[in-house]
Amino acid sequence: MTEGAINERVARAIILCMITFKNVTKEYPPKTHALAGVSFRIEAGEFVSITGQSGSGKSTIAKLIFAEEKLTSGHIHIGDWDISNVRHSDIPILRRQIGVVFQDFKLLPKKTAFENVAFALEVAGESNKRIREVVPHVLKIVGLGEKGGRYPRQLSGGEQQRVSIARALVHRPKIIVADEPTGNLDAITAREIIELFTRINDFGTTIVLVTHDRDIVNGLHRRVITLRDGKVASDAEKGKYLLA
Amino acid sequence: MMRNFWLSFVTVSVFVLTLVTINSVIILNVLANASVKSVEGRVQVTVYFTSDSSEGTVKNVQGYLLGLSQVKEVSYVKAEEALATFQIIHQNDPVILAALDEVNGNPFGQALKIRAYNASDFPFILEALETPEYKPFIKEKNYDNYESALKVLSDFSEKVRLGFLILALFFGFIAVLIVFNTIRVAIYVHREEIGIMKLVGANDWFVRGPFLCESIFYALIATGIMAGIIAATLSFANPYIVAFFQGVDVDLVAYYSANAVPLFGAQFGILAFLGLGTTAFAMRRYLRV
Repeated sequence: MTEGAINERVARAIILCMITFKNVTKEYPPKTHALAGVSFRIEAGEFVSITGQSGSGKSTIAKLIFAEEKLTSGHIHIGDWDISNVRHSDIPILRRQIGVVFQDFKLLPKKTAFENVAFALEVAGESNKRIREVVPHVLKIVGLGEKGGRYPRQLSGGEQQRVSIARALVHRPKIIVADEPTGNLDAITAREIIELFTRINDFGTTIVLVTHDRDIVNGLHRRVITLRDGKVASDAEKGKYLLA
Repeated sequence: MMRNFWLSFVTVSVFVLTLVTINSVIILNVLANASVKSVEGRVQVTVYFTSDSSEGTVKNVQGYLLGLSQVKEVSYVKAEEALATFQIIHQNDPVILAALDEVNGNPFGQALKIRAYNASDFPFILEALETPEYKPFIKEKNYDNYESALKVLSDFSEKVRLGFLILALFFGFIAVLIVFNTIRVAIYVHREEIGIMKLVGANDWFVRGPFLCESIFYALIATGIMAGIIAATLSFANPYIVAFFQGVDVDLVAYYSANAVPLFGAQFGILAFLGLGTTAFAMRRYLRV
């Protein structure tokens, strides 16, 4: 099967973009349980915050969704696609369907904002013509329409995170997973980034926000899954940040 | 590549050194073959006939020998010519000339000088003269023995060739180690970029491709440099080499010009094979995609 056909198959499989965790366990040798029997379901178009103290397993959930880690037992479905034992060759295809945003931005320092965003399309083999069309549009969405030619060092932390979000958006993913995206930002910039995520969510993209920032979680008034010692401690619609 | 300039420089340098030794073997081969051919070309057997043999008999033997596929040339030497040649050769040796004077008449009979296409065919040719029909007329068969000279030449060139081949293998091994290290460092230096490539959905070949291209690029650059070195060296040294091997047909410039594509193509192929193999191994070891 060609990569294009596989992409199409995967796109169809995750069109509903529900994320389902069924009794997921993740162990790190020798005996560290990052997750222990975690189950939840995130519906298409939801905005879900996953919170908990350091070491509670929230980042592990993000890593399992975009297959940076392999689970020890249980099942994870993205739409109809069981990614529990995703083949190595299918991982790139999965990652092109899920936008990922990190605390440390993970931008290439020697590429401009435009080139960093374009890079995500280049690795997927998109044509230059399409890249020239799509990238400026996405940069405009994140409010960096005029700063595409700047290098990461010439941008503020908030702007760098916007570039990172633009890169995550450029594939038009159904799901965005953001792992502590405001961890390196001041409160005002953090709020702006979260507003950007809510706007993206308004267009129907599922957002999984991994954070330990109480103000952000409480300000969102969206679903909150709280983890404690690798287990789901609470799962509340319009939840609040719970004290450990 | 430019980000690891010195590593790349060392890699290309060792590749070039490997090619220098390989080309030394090639040049040595060409010179040795030309020398051996030249010496072989001088090998001849002289068959002396008894004084009572008629010219017709000798001409018959000449025709018989020319009928053998191994024989290149048979020249007839009259008894008088043989004597005259002997006298010219030894004109400065009064002892031999005095001895010749003491012999009454011409001690030389008619003779045939035989050249073969291949020096190794002489035993067969000499055996062919052992027929009852011609044997009684043959006084002596004189094999101008160049065999020992050929053997010395062949042995010497073989040893030097072997020495250079061992050196080429040594440099090849060093090249493998350096390429391995270069790729390892390149993977380390680019680890962040590689990580980001993977996160945004790059497939294996997108990540591995540049490293493989890099090793091919090194091979290409080294082959280009080697071609330049050969061109410069031979354009300077060829007249001296031709003069040194006087009478031997050695024109290295013509040889390299005629065989440039297969020679440098093969050298590029060897380096690319070494580079790709080592890069693949280094990536397998250090690159987790």
